[in-house]
Formats: sequence, structure tokens, C-alpha cells
Amino acid sequence: MDWLREIFSRSTALFHRQRLNEDLDEELESHVEAAVEENIRRGMAPDKARVAALRLFGGVTQIKEAYRARRDVPLLTSLKRDVFYAVRRLRSSPGFALVVIATLALGIGANTAVFTLVEGFLLRSLPVADPASLYRIGDRNTCCYHGNFESADGDFDLFSNDLYRRFKQTAPEFEQLAAVQAGGGGYTVQYGSAAPRPLRTEFVSGNYFSTLGVGVYLGRPFGEADDHQGAAPVLVISYVAWETEFGRDPSIVGATVYVQRHPFTVAGVAPPGFYGDRIASIPADIWMPLSAEIELEGANAAVTQPTTAWLYALGRLRNGVQKTALEDKLSAQLREWMGEWPRFTQHGGAAIIPRQYVKLAKAGGGIQKLQQQSGANLRLLMILSSVVLLLACANIASLLLARSTTQRMDIAVRMALGAARFRIIRQILIESLLLSCAGGVAALGVSWLGARAILTLAYPEAHYMPLNAEPSWPVLGFALLVSVMTGVVFSVTPAWAASHAQPTESLRGINVASRDRASLPQRTLVILQLAMSLVLLSGTFLLTRSLMNLEHKDFGFQTANRYTFQMDLEGAGYSADRTTGLYRQMEQRLGALPGVTHVSFARYIPMGGNQWGTCVYLQGGTDSGNEDKCFSDWIRVSAQFLDSIGVPVVRGRGFTAQDGQSSPLVAVVNQAFVKKFFPNQDPVGKHFGREGAKYSSEYQIAGVFSDFILTDPRSESRPLFLVPDTQQFAGYTAAEDDAAEKASMFLGSVVLQVAGSPTDMEMAVRKALAEIDPKLPVFRFVTYDSVVAENFNQERLIARLTAAFGILSLILASVGLYGVTSYFVARRTSEIGIRMAVGASRSLIVRMVMRGAIAQFAAGLALGVPASLLMDRLMTSFLFRVSSYDPAVLAAAVVVLGLGAGAAAILPAIRAASLDPVRALRTD
Amino acid sequence: MTAEKTDVLQGTLDLMILKTLQAMGPLHGYGIARRIEQVSVDALSVNQGTLYPALLRLQQRKWIRSEWGTSGTGRRAKLYSLTRLGQKKVGEEEENWERIVSTMARFLSPAEQD
Repeated sequence: MDWLREIFSRSTALFHRQRLNEDLDEELESHVEAAVEENIRRGMAPDKARVAALRLFGGVTQIKEAYRARRDVPLLTSLKRDVFYAVRRLRSSPGFALVVIATLALGIGANTAVFTLVEGFLLRSLPVADPASLYRIGDRNTCCYHGNFESADGDFDLFSNDLYRRFKQTAPEFEQLAAVQAGGGGYTVQYGSAAPRPLRTEFVSGNYFSTLGVGVYLGRPFGEADDHQGAAPVLVISYVAWETEFGRDPSIVGATVYVQRHPFTVAGVAPPGFYGDRIASIPADIWMPLSAEIELEGANAAVTQPTTAWLYALGRLRNGVQKTALEDKLSAQLREWMGEWPRFTQHGGAAIIPRQYVKLAKAGGGIQKLQQQSGANLRLLMILSSVVLLLACANIASLLLARSTTQRMDIAVRMALGAARFRIIRQILIESLLLSCAGGVAALGVSWLGARAILTLAYPEAHYMPLNAEPSWPVLGFALLVSVMTGVVFSVTPAWAASHAQPTESLRGINVASRDRASLPQRTLVILQLAMSLVLLSGTFLLTRSLMNLEHKDFGFQTANRYTFQMDLEGAGYSADRTTGLYRQMEQRLGALPGVTHVSFARYIPMGGNQWGTCVYLQGGTDSGNEDKCFSDWIRVSAQFLDSIGVPVVRGRGFTAQDGQSSPLVAVVNQAFVKKFFPNQDPVGKHFGREGAKYSSEYQIAGVFSDFILTDPRSESRPLFLVPDTQQFAGYTAAEDDAAEKASMFLGSVVLQVAGSPTDMEMAVRKALAEIDPKLPVFRFVTYDSVVAENFNQERLIARLTAAFGILSLILASVGLYGVTSYFVARRTSEIGIRMAVGASRSLIVRMVMRGAIAQFAAGLALGVPASLLMDRLMTSFLFRVSSYDPAVLAAAVVVLGLGAGAAAILPAIRAASLDPVRALRTD
Repeated sequence: MTAEKTDVLQGTLDLMILKTLQAMGPLHGYGIARRIEQVSVDALSVNQGTLYPALLRLQQRKWIRSEWGTSGTGRRAKLYSLTRLGQKKVGEEEENWERIVSTMARFLSPAEQD
């Protein structure tokens, strides 16, 4: 207890030292006076009395010191003095302090920003109960619908509802096994009197919430009882959607919302922070039980088709389950199940069934789709930002080294005056810690802004992405630790050395440039910086060039002066047979708008991120049954589609108004289609079909159009055929095929080609469409250019960030070189004076200074060029039509680095050359 | 004058101060020093460099308190007095001290033990 009171009293004393000091002075004085008085009373003369009293009293200062040492915390008070002194010293050289703090802020900040995203993306667990016990059947990311063997090596990860239920029944190793829709869906949702809006939806099995161990914020989650054919349709709304789309309306629970005009009861609102089973740039707004798909899709519902694979299986594994044994068991189930379906056994499929298998994958982080897409990019960024941190540390080290040499005399004087070595070192330590702390605080801001900027650049659409830009504290701590260590090592070590030097020697040596060059460590650091900077610069040039190649690649279709938007006719309640009339009506209205030259409709647009594939059956051909051999993409479009995107018909004809419901079904195909299915033949007039050999005379080829890129700009054009919006095939015998054909009549994308630059196109279009049907949802009205640009968000982000890192590294390296060269000039000022006095020309002086800088630059290149080549090799997978070994790129990087380094060296050189010899001689 | 004055032992000074304050009531630093010297019949000398830190230590433990007042001679002085906690502690410290003394005594004259 006593010690507690003591500590308390000591620490409070820290805050009013002044008053306590005065108090002590007065008390001691009164003590002496009392002694004097007593001496006088005893009969001494007043002056003698005072002398005697003082002699008896002893050393006043010593008493005060002893008293103070006891009164507060002496270590703290001297620390406080040191901190104030350090602040004063730093303020006397603001340039140095600012450069160090800015370097730290950028180095640490950039790192923390990138690692924050890495952590959020790659290392984060789902916000569910016990994520570690979640496992997925399947370790790949096949999407979104599949009806055959899934990969060449037999690895399966996408399952049909039927197969999922088989797994669920036969694998009690899973406490619970849920199924989730692989691809995200979107439906038009309407509630109350509000306008209908398109929302992201995901079908999940009834046990989804219980499997994940997630409750609800309001209402109840749906359960197994809600997931069977005939169950009353229910849904759960995400918290974010509840906030943004439904205005936090609590009465929504139990209310009816309309999904594609089908009534659904809102069971509940998911808890805040729950974003579903995966990190997606646009997370699901609504979860519905699998059985609800029947309600919405009718005969076309995937859930009722036993072999249509469209689900991922995600479950909670019981404790102590042997994973390999379970994998074997599930694989056996898979093969057994496949053996029951002709789709897999026919055409020799039976022979490859034994090769099919599944793998279990950890799913604590969710379905890692986005992670796999962005993972490689993030890893590249991690490497780049680590290099920047290294550069920053090197810069700080060389700045501190330069500073320490100027401090040498300072330290010598203080040592000579009797300062304790401990205090000198401690004071320098405090100074470097102060700098680090200031840098750390600034870095916090940089990392927050940086992570935010990266997220916005990478996913401009993602307003509710379940990732936050809040700096990752362990990472910030680590980066700070690295830079603090750098600061401490490079400030304390020289100070330690200086404090061990004989003060007299240092003092004698101050006027003599005993070592006329920057120290070896300093030069080494600059060389390393130049090398690292070259690596980053060459990476920057490579990626930027690759991005330019991607963006300026000829996709085979035109996007300039074109707008596109989406609409949902199905959600607005139109039936398939009413669509054609509606398209014509819209075509007229929109075509009449000023400036509009072409209007077209398509099921989806090229480079819009969608793609429909089918197996093509040639009339009179053999049914190969192998998807690779028969595969082609297809789009249902309106007659003007090819014109509206500027694609020419090279043979035969395009669609015309004569291609109606009563005339024979036609299709137009691209050149890749001809090459694959009709090599060396004239395809016009030939027949083919979809969905089976018996439909092989479904379409007659009317024409051939030139190739364009449909999805992946990195790949070549693939076979593609177009069918007109005016012809619906009524001959399908299977209900699901007929339903699919009907569904394909809904063309969700519209392309508008305009002449000139009409103002406020969107308003005009919305107005025109509202006159046709005010309830029709129209969304994502954008220029076609921006749709294409979205395909390169990732590449653009990486290229820009690399460029930012490259520029940063160039600045850091230049500052480093500048510092060392300036230091060289400062140290040799008197020598330069002598040289000039005895007749050296200014250009000779410039050359003398530059020689050192050029040597370092050359050494930097010697290290940097091989390192760049190595780094560029690692980046091959990020490059498009750029060789990782590109001499032009390397040369450009060398030139840019040379310009930076040249500027950094020429300034001190000019300063040296413009010295007045007389004054130069007088300086140290 | 006595030839040798013994410096006050560390630790014993605290008890002396406490006893002095208990006996004399509020007293200033000089008074405490004089009183200790008087009681010891000038056998002890109190070093101010020890006295004042000791007073501070006792204050920090809240055994004594101080306030500015007037000394016996009408001079302004800082007067120390026992706190309630101090009153209690005087007794404890006295017992402690006596235990030490009796233990020491046994060491110094073991013959007298039985």
C-alpha cells in the first residue's frame, strides 16, 4: 500500500514541479532563518549567526537534488528534457525531419495498405461460427452451369441438386452439408409502392444458415422446411440491402415482396457483417431456398434437372474425420451417380467415369473465387511494396548516416564537457524514435487512404464490398518495427562510435576533411536503392505497355459512340411471346431520339462479362457428345445488332425483317465457327441445331460475319452463332429445353449507336421507355467504352499501382543519391576551394563531383539490370503481348532512372562549381 | 562538545520523526532536527540532506502531512503533523523497532539468554 501511495504521489508531483520547487526553496530558507534566529538568541552576532547556520546546514543544491530525486520520477523528468531537446533539434533541421517522416509514411503506408488488402482478401475467415471446420467438396471454381464432365483431369467441384442430395445422405461425416449457387444471379424485386429494382440473389439450400451457424438480425432464417417443392416461397435479405434498398424498414419481416412478380415472404434480415459464403465485388442482397428456383424459373429451373451442375457443396466436418478417406468415399459416390445417367455414360463417357474424383478444400474463407482471381495480383503488389519499404529504409539509413557525421563534433564537445555516454546515446535514440513515431502516424493516414484508393480503383462497382480499408494493425506494427529498427541502428551505431572516439581527436579533426568521400555504407545504400528503383521502373513500363496492348487491342467490334443499358422484361411481367412486339416498339421510340443511329437488343453483349455456350449438332454430322468438339457460344439478338456494333457480314446476309416466326429459322455464324465446323466448305445454307442430334436441322445458316472477341481479350475468337429475336423454336420436346428457349427470348442488353454527342442520353432513353411501360426496370446505363474498360480494372489497377511504386522508388533513390553527392560536396568544400584557387575550371569541378555519382549509377545498373530481368520473368503471367525480356522496356527504365539520378547529382555539382573559392577556403 | 556525533541510521530517522511529531504536535523541519538532537543529547546529528527526503517519503506514504503555518517564534514555516494513518503506524513501527532491538540484544550478549 505504501508503495502505491508513493508512486501516486511521485507521478502527480511531475505535473507541478515549478510550485513544488518554490515550496522547497521557501522551506529550506525558513529552516536556515530558524537556525539563525536560534544562534542569535544564543548570543551570536547576526552575521556570524548566519554563517554558522549555513555551515551547519550543508550544501543547499545537494539537498535539493536529493529531495527532488525522491519527490518525482527522475528518469522521466530527464527523459522529458531529452524529448524536448530532440524536438528542438529536429525543428532546427526541418528539411531532414520532413524527408524522413515522408519517407517513412510512404514506405510503411504503402506496405500496410497492400497487406491490409491481402489480409482482408486472402487470410480472412467468413463471419460465421467456427470457420475452421467448414470444408467444401471441390477445390476449383467451375462456374456457373455445367452438364457434363467438368475438367480434363476429372476434378469435380460443381454439382447438380440431385448429386448434392446424394452426398448429403451418404456422408454423415459432415455435421451439415449445404449447397450454394455457384454463379450469382439477379432478379427484379419490388416491395410496396417503390419502383422495382434489380437485386443480386443467391439460391442456397434450406440448411444454409444452420450450416454456417449464422442467425438473423430480424425475423427468422429459413430452414429445411422452407426448401422443398411446394413450400411457401421465402427469402432472407442481407443487412446491407435492408439498409440501402429497404430503408431499414422493420415491418418488412413477414411482408410480401415480389421477385420477378412472384410473391415471396420475407423471413428475416441477416445479421450485420454477414456477407454470405464468399467475398464478391457485389455481394448477394437476397438468399432464397433452392426450391424457390422452381417458382421463378418453372420448367427451366436447374434445381429440377438432375444432371445440371450449378451448386457448390459446403459443409461442416465432424471432429476427427479422415479427409482422404472421405474424399475417396465421395469420389466413389460421384462415379456411382454418374454411372446412372446416360449423359455421362454415352459416347464412350463410361470409360472416363473411373477417372472422376472430388477433393475437399478448406472453406473457412468461403468460396474463394475473388481470392483466386485477385490473389496473384495482390502477391505481386506485396512484392512491390516490400521493395518500396526496403528502399524507404535504405533512404532513412543513408540520411541518418549523413546526419551522424555532422553530429560527430557535437558529440565530441559534449563528451569533452563531461556528458555521460549513456545520455548522449539515449538522446539520439529518442530523436530517432520521435521521427519513427511521427512517420508511423503519417503512415497510418497513408495506409488508410491507400487501401481505400486501391479498393475503389479495383472494384469501382463494389460499394458494399465486405472488405474494409482499416489498416491491419499487426502489419502496421511490423512495418513500423522494421523502420524503427532501421532508424535506431543507423543513428545509434554511428553515435556509439562517435562517443567512443577520443573527444580531442574529433575536435582536432573537425576542420580537416580527413575522409573526403561519403562513407562506404552510404554509397552501398545508394547503389542498392538505384538497383531496386530500376527493378520497379522496368516492371512499371512492362505492365503499362501490357495494359495499353490490352486496351488497344482490336476486339473486332466498335464501342466508340455507343451506349448500353440493361433491362429486365421478365421481371416486369412480360411473357416470351410478347417480347418481339415490345422490341419493335422500343426500336422505333429509341431510334427516333435525336442522334441515335442504331438500336439493337441482345441477350448479352460482347465484353460485357457474360457468355452462353451450347453443343452444336450438324445436320448429318455425328454426335460426338464431347463438349470440346461441339462447343460454340451463341447470342439471341435483334436484326440490327451486328450493324450497331460495327461488325460486317462477310458472306451471305444478316438478319432481315423477313426472318419472322412463320419463315424458316436462320442463324448467322462467325468465321471461327466456319473454321471449326465447316472447314473448307461454304457454310451458307447448311443446317445445325442445339440441344440434341434430333434438332440438327433447327437453324439454316444465312450468313457469316467477321470474328470479334466475346469475353476474354487474351484469347482468340471462338465459334459463335447468332439467332434472331423474331424466331422462337417451338419444336423442343423436353419441357426444360422449351423453357430454356422461351427464357432466351428475353434480351436484357440494349446497344445504342449515336452520331455526334447528344446530351443527356440516359434521361431521354428513360423517358422514352417510361412512355412504353413505366414499370420497366432500366439499369446500368453506361457508355460501351466503359463496359469494355471494366474488363481491365485489375490490370489497370496493377499497372497504376506499380507505376506509383516506381515513381516513389525513383524519388527515393534520387533523394538518396542527392544526399550522398551533397554530402560529398560539403565535405570537400575547402578542397574544391583550393582546386579552384590553383586554376581548376568549373567544368572540371562539375566533372569531379559527377564522377562519383556516375560510378554509383553504373554500380546500380550492374545490380539492377539482372535483378530487373529476374523480376520481369516473374511477371510473365501478368503480361499481354509483351515479352518479359524486352530490351526497349529495360532501356526506357534505365533512361528514366538516369534522368532522375542525373538531376539528383547535377544540382550539388553545380553548387560546387559555383562556389566562391575565397569563401570556400575559409569554410571548415 | 562531544567529540563524535553519530549519523542517524537509515530507517531509524523515520521513527524518530514520527515519535517527535507524536510528542510535540505540529513542528517545522528545523524544529524536528533540533528536537532529535536534543533528545539524543547531541549524540546524533541530523543531516538536512537526509531529513528533508525523509519527511517527503513519509508524506508520500501519507503518514504525515504538511501545511504552511507560523512557528513558535512567529515565523512563517512549513509545519508537519501526523495523519491518522501516521498515528497508527507509529505504534507498528515502535513494535518493529523493539523487536529488532531485543533480537540484536540477544546477539550482543548471548550469555544472558537463559
